[in-house]
Amino acid sequence: MEQSSMNSGEFPAGLRVLVVDDDVTTLKIIERMSVRCHYCVTTCSEATAALKILRERKGCFDVVLSDVHMPDMDGYKLLEHVGLEMDLPVIMMSVDDRTSTVMKGIRHGACDYFIKPVRLEELRNIWQHVARKFLNESKEHDNSSSREDNDRNNISSAAGATKGIVKEQKKRSNLKDEEDVELENDDPSTSKKPRVVWSVELHQQFVSAVNQLGLDKAVPKKILELMNVPGLTRENVASHLQKFRLYLKRLSGVAQQQNEMLNTVPGTIESKLAAAERYIQTVAASGYVSPETLAALHAELLGHPVTNIVPTVDRTTLMQAFEQEPKHSGADDHDVASGQPLAKYPSNIVNNFPQSILKVDNSSLGYGAWPPSDTLGSVSRGSLGVPNNNMVIDILQHHQKHQHQQKQQKSPIHDQNQSINVQPSCLVVPAQSSDTFQEVKSVASVNKDCSFSRNAIIDYSQQSQKSNISSSTSQYLGRDTKSTSISPLMSSFSVGSSNSNIQQIQNSTSTFGAARPLPSLLPMTFRQVPYDIKSSDSLDQVCLRNPRFVGKGNHISSFENEIESSASDFSHMKVFVACNGNTVKEEPKEEPNFIRYSNVNHPVLYNYPSHDHSSAST
Amino acid sequence: MLGFGADLLWADMNRLLAFLFHQGVLDEQFLQLQQLQDHTSPNFVSEVVNIYFHESEKLLNNLRSLLMEREFSDYKKIEIHLNQFIGSSSSIGAKRVTSVCIAFRAASEQDNRAGCLRALEMLEHEYCYLKNKLHELFQIEQQRALAAGVRYPMQHQ
Repeated sequence: MEQSSMNSGEFPAGLRVLVVDDDVTTLKIIERMSVRCHYCVTTCSEATAALKILRERKGCFDVVLSDVHMPDMDGYKLLEHVGLEMDLPVIMMSVDDRTSTVMKGIRHGACDYFIKPVRLEELRNIWQHVARKFLNESKEHDNSSSREDNDRNNISSAAGATKGIVKEQKKRSNLKDEEDVELENDDPSTSKKPRVVWSVELHQQFVSAVNQLGLDKAVPKKILELMNVPGLTRENVASHLQKFRLYLKRLSGVAQQQNEMLNTVPGTIESKLAAAERYIQTVAASGYVSPETLAALHAELLGHPVTNIVPTVDRTTLMQAFEQEPKHSGADDHDVASGQPLAKYPSNIVNNFPQSILKVDNSSLGYGAWPPSDTLGSVSRGSLGVPNNNMVIDILQHHQKHQHQQKQQKSPIHDQNQSINVQPSCLVVPAQSSDTFQEVKSVASVNKDCSFSRNAIIDYSQQSQKSNISSSTSQYLGRDTKSTSISPLMSSFSVGSSNSNIQQIQNSTSTFGAARPLPSLLPMTFRQVPYDIKSSDSLDQVCLRNPRFVGKGNHISSFENEIESSASDFSHMKVFVACNGNTVKEEPKEEPNFIRYSNVNHPVLYNYPSHDHSSAST
Repeated sequence: MLGFGADLLWADMNRLLAFLFHQGVLDEQFLQLQQLQDHTSPNFVSEVVNIYFHESEKLLNNLRSLLMEREFSDYKKIEIHLNQFIGSSSSIGAKRVTSVCIAFRAASEQDNRAGCLRALEMLEHEYCYLKNKLHELFQIEQQRALAAGVRYPMQHQ
């Protein structure tokens, strides 16, 4: 996929939107709103034309907004086509707010469903669907490759969605060549950082530091100080901490599920084991246990000194702890109720890491083994100074016994052989950064106030017409209950005087100019030319070049260079610049069924009569 | 500083708008439209509304010709038109027109031809009323803009 808008300066500005609706009024309004949101918008009033555009310019759009009911093609069909062929997020729109219709949209794969009239606020949020889809795809892509790729390519970046998404995309395109993947941390501005290997020892130090500080108070800086590891940066610690917290949270969620499965006597060892068992169930759900691991288990159980196999064990389980889901479903997947939470793991991660304090109710958590808190009555924090390894080994062993009793022969190791996928030397990279960017916002939210009571009462009392309205007229309780951005009816509205918009457009357009490659889409604007007919004439010839433009008075004004150089010329023309700044002006006279999108690939200079700079659009 | 005339016109405009809101002819969606208007598109509202009028008249004509057919039975088509009408009317904040459309649609869903005809009449009435009022509004606005515009050159003199 070519450069997406997410690489441009300030996502979601520059988001490339295709709007399809047979209703021209709505089309124009949404177009205007999109421009206000600094999107690059293309409008289309026919579904067939829209598909054509999408096919011709694959990779030129980020999201599609489509009406449900259209004359030439059902919106759902378009939705399916887009999903199949281009795999873009599609948002449906309609006046129809019936649950069944919305459900149908969801079933056909719509990312979201807007009830008309669409509001600006709703439009501002559509970028999340792009981000989400993108991140889901990169995760899938990663999971299909080897595990090692997973570790490397899924970086943990706790930065805002913008930068993280950018990095993700870069990685995604580099998926095959695994060389130049970098471990990104909180600070994405640093380009290349040495990869941090969270070895067992390192993690142990980390855990003990966290233990010391207390999970609630564990801040990366202090952890870093306590750990006192040269070369470790605060960012490394921070990202690792996030993963850790998430893992704990996941564990505690799982633990509640498994409470009934395990009767734990609150003795130290018992509860340790039980908790550990839960842990292992979540972690090694599919029986990912290397032979070394199990050997170590045995060794440990028998009281033998821990060999250097143990680190492998720990690393394994750590790795698994950080993995999202057991992709290779092991033998006893069904036994593990944690399959569910594991799978849900990525989707639960909140976008803004630094702000989110995961509520790990862990007053008594022993961090050594990361057991869930609620069942550990007697396990006090810090008392599990037992090295992680031991606990893990216990866990593993316990798990093995439970899980593979029926299959157990001489040693449980044999059963696991085929499902082993541990590379001892692999790096425990705090896992997928993609996790961190999932928006938690609900996806298929019907963005309409459900407070409407359409029990159909029309208030006709205000009307003064010659109404012999019989009671057969159905009634409708109007939109009074709508809780949109209601401004007082008497408020003095501003008729076109918001300077701030200009500034925003100026800033964003310059960004666009810098970042975006030229042959991409162009926003459509509808604009009459009340003033200068002259300039419209001169522009007509350019429009004629592309016979697709229908209507008179089309203007294509290119953006990047000209805007900078002749900013003044644009001001009076009321050419507002969005995205790459090619705007198509039309006088909407004839029938609305034309495609409005231009395909100018190179800037064209126009001679606008010079005007004042007052309302410069750049 | 607005000219004297412009002030009066501004007040007129506000008054008219307030009246329309009070009557339920317009709703807050219309305000959203106005907020979308700015320096870069100073005529946005009037443009959109003109598009709306243009489209609506076509729709109304279609609806009337459909319902007037001797052998009318195609309620589906009516509903398609109405959907579009509802969409566009609600998008510009034409509350009463939208309400009537929805009633119309309900009658159509019940295959109630008489009800549809009544609703169509009402719809046409509402639509005309809206159109007149909005034209009035735009006229005032134009005059106000002119009055305000005239002011500026004087200041320099």
